[in-house]
Amino acid sequence: MPTVKFYASLRKVTGEREAQIQAGSVKEVLQRLSTDYDGELRRYLKISSILVNGKNVIHMKGKRTRLKPDDVVSIFPPLGGG
Amino acid sequence: MSTKYSGYLGRFLDIDLSTGKVGEYDVTDEMLEAYLGSKGLASKILYDTLSKGVNPLGEENVFIVNTGPLVNSGAPCTSRFNVTTKSPLTGGILSCNCGGNFGMFLKRAGFDGLILRGKASKPTWIHIEDGEVELKDAKDLWGLTTEEAQEKLPKGTGKMVIGPAGENAVLYACIISQERALGRGGAGAVMGSKNIKAITAKGNHKVPKANPEKFKKDVRKWVEILKEHPSTGEMMPEYGTAVFINRCNAANTLPTHNFKRGSFAEADAVSGETLAETRLTGNFGCASCVIKCGRRVEVDGKNVKGPEYETLGLLGPNLENPDLGLICDWNYQADLVGVDTVSLGNVLGFAMELNENGLWDNGLEFGKVDNISGVIDDIANRRGIGDDLADGVKRLSEKYGGKDYAMEVKGLELPAYEPRGAVGHGLGYAIANRGGCHIGGGYMVYFEANGPLTMDPLTTRAKPQLTAMLQTMLDALSDSGSCQFTGFTTIPKQAIELNPHGNVYRVVAKSLELMGPMMELILRFPKMLAFVPPMALMQHPRVITDLTGMKMTFGKFLEIGLRTYMIERLFNAREGFTGADDTLPRRSTHQVQEGGTDTTVPLNQMIRIYYRVRGLDANGAPKHDTLRRLGMRA
Ligand code: SF4
Repeated sequence: MPTVKFYASLRKVTGEREAQIQAGSVKEVLQRLSTDYDGELRRYLKISSILVNGKNVIHMKGKRTRLKPDDVVSIFPPLGGG
Repeated sequence: MSTKYSGYLGRFLDIDLSTGKVGEYDVTDEMLEAYLGSKGLASKILYDTLSKGVNPLGEENVFIVNTGPLVNSGAPCTSRFNVTTKSPLTGGILSCNCGGNFGMFLKRAGFDGLILRGKASKPTWIHIEDGEVELKDAKDLWGLTTEEAQEKLPKGTGKMVIGPAGENAVLYACIISQERALGRGGAGAVMGSKNIKAITAKGNHKVPKANPEKFKKDVRKWVEILKEHPSTGEMMPEYGTAVFINRCNAANTLPTHNFKRGSFAEADAVSGETLAETRLTGNFGCASCVIKCGRRVEVDGKNVKGPEYETLGLLGPNLENPDLGLICDWNYQADLVGVDTVSLGNVLGFAMELNENGLWDNGLEFGKVDNISGVIDDIANRRGIGDDLADGVKRLSEKYGGKDYAMEVKGLELPAYEPRGAVGHGLGYAIANRGGCHIGGGYMVYFEANGPLTMDPLTTRAKPQLTAMLQTMLDALSDSGSCQFTGFTTIPKQAIELNPHGNVYRVVAKSLELMGPMMELILRFPKMLAFVPPMALMQHPRVITDLTGMKMTFGKFLEIGLRTYMIERLFNAREGFTGADDTLPRRSTHQVQEGGTDTTVPLNQMIRIYYRVRGLDANGAPKHDTLRRLGMRA
């Protein structure tokens, strides 16, 4: 099962650092998260960046990016800093 | 000097420490129009004042402290002041920017800046009050930490001080003002070489405003924009810069094991999130700041400044150290003795790798943390191995070897972004004028790996143009006296709130790669942008117009940034820097990350285009034509 890691405000919203999610694509991860957690997370997911094994999915196949069981999906809300 | 422009006090001190003579430096209105203030103006003064080849730690070097027009004006995030000098670490030009309170107080004392020449005959403290200057005996301050010295100096003054490291000519000694640092390149060592322990200022001068009503109205709007923007109103105050640890780790841009790798298995233990959960006692801001990105933590029962991203990365993963408590302790200790934590983390990492490879038996090992605190003290006092370590990575590599993995550019150690995971950021390190610096290099990583709107981090497309554009904007922001983090609002809230897995986002991110030619055109002919941008898009030009009475169009603002880079280039070229110095360590260009991206930084390809965009010749020096266009002369 892919591991989904939450960062920054998403940790507060989910109350977790990571979760194992049964999903074969990024789209399925987002669907599962939207049903498993409350509406606040849904708002964040709309504006969060998603990396699969360190690569931003926008440079892969976006939400259609396929996942293997040992993939790590990292989800970040927009950050500022430097 | 006196000036027709508001926003300035119209006086710039010129102090000869060898003779004790105090005069004024003549800054003309043409200089203000061309360089605005802060870094750009100070670079011009340094260029005009120094001749080629002076010893950075000798009497002939000068030390300039100055401000931009926005400082102490009431505009948000504008306590920033600047120090410019010739760096003892690089031998090139050095400008440092700091959010401590000295700049505001210097303006209250009646001056826009000061230049120190020569060398005091004994430890000295300079006090500036309401237009007057006093050189005072600092024998009771010499040897004190930066905190002790600031406590001893009079209350109600703006202060900048050095610690033992600056007194002992550690080549990356910093200067501290309150708890903020003028960190990089050894400005603290230059101050120490002049026997100056501290400078204090106070007074009652007010910054004149050309259009006070409009200024007030626009500043109110600016504050609203900063507070409502997701980066400056939410993420920065909540997590500070430390929030980038996990993001960079996920994107293979977190230097680990002296930049051998781009991620660290235990990164989360030293992340902004963990800092917030376990150690944070609050956040704080530089004076006049509404963003408040600073962290506060407890060290030995004291509430002190917490580590920034750079410090966490370089004293954590780069040394294979997952102990957040120790990083907080070392960060505090480094500030007390006055050393730059970015160079420190590099020096320690490099020494560990030298030891690992059998090139220098120094007792330092990755993951071994018990001896680090002692070594920081040894560096500050140049004791034992600390004497070698105090000279920085470049000189260590000349003495012990390991040149391929000496992570420095032009002698300045790299900040905490591993460039093979963000190749445009690597270009920035190579061409930044003060050496390996993320801010001077345009901070491309924000558009490649950790910002809200990211391009493909490994493509070279449009990276040279974007790098030059970002550098130009950041330089202009600095020149104004504003914190560079206010620049985050130039990415509109709407763009940040685009769905990053939606089609619109993909198109916008992709279109950045196509914007190279347009940016090149703008940088070549900035004058065509002859409008003052609306506040919602960019606040600085409008507020500068309200304050100073200059009509600051977007084009003029960019031109100021362009000149700032070019005057620094001219300085370095005169010192003998060439295209060969615009480079990266071999580790970045010829070796792939261990267990990370399988790419290297394709530097040569990007540099050629970058030189063209900037109007530099094949040797990295400004072309005659470029200077003419900017109204400059070599
Ligand atoms: S954003 Fe951070 S660095 Fe900038 S002025 Fe505010 S507190 Fe200082």
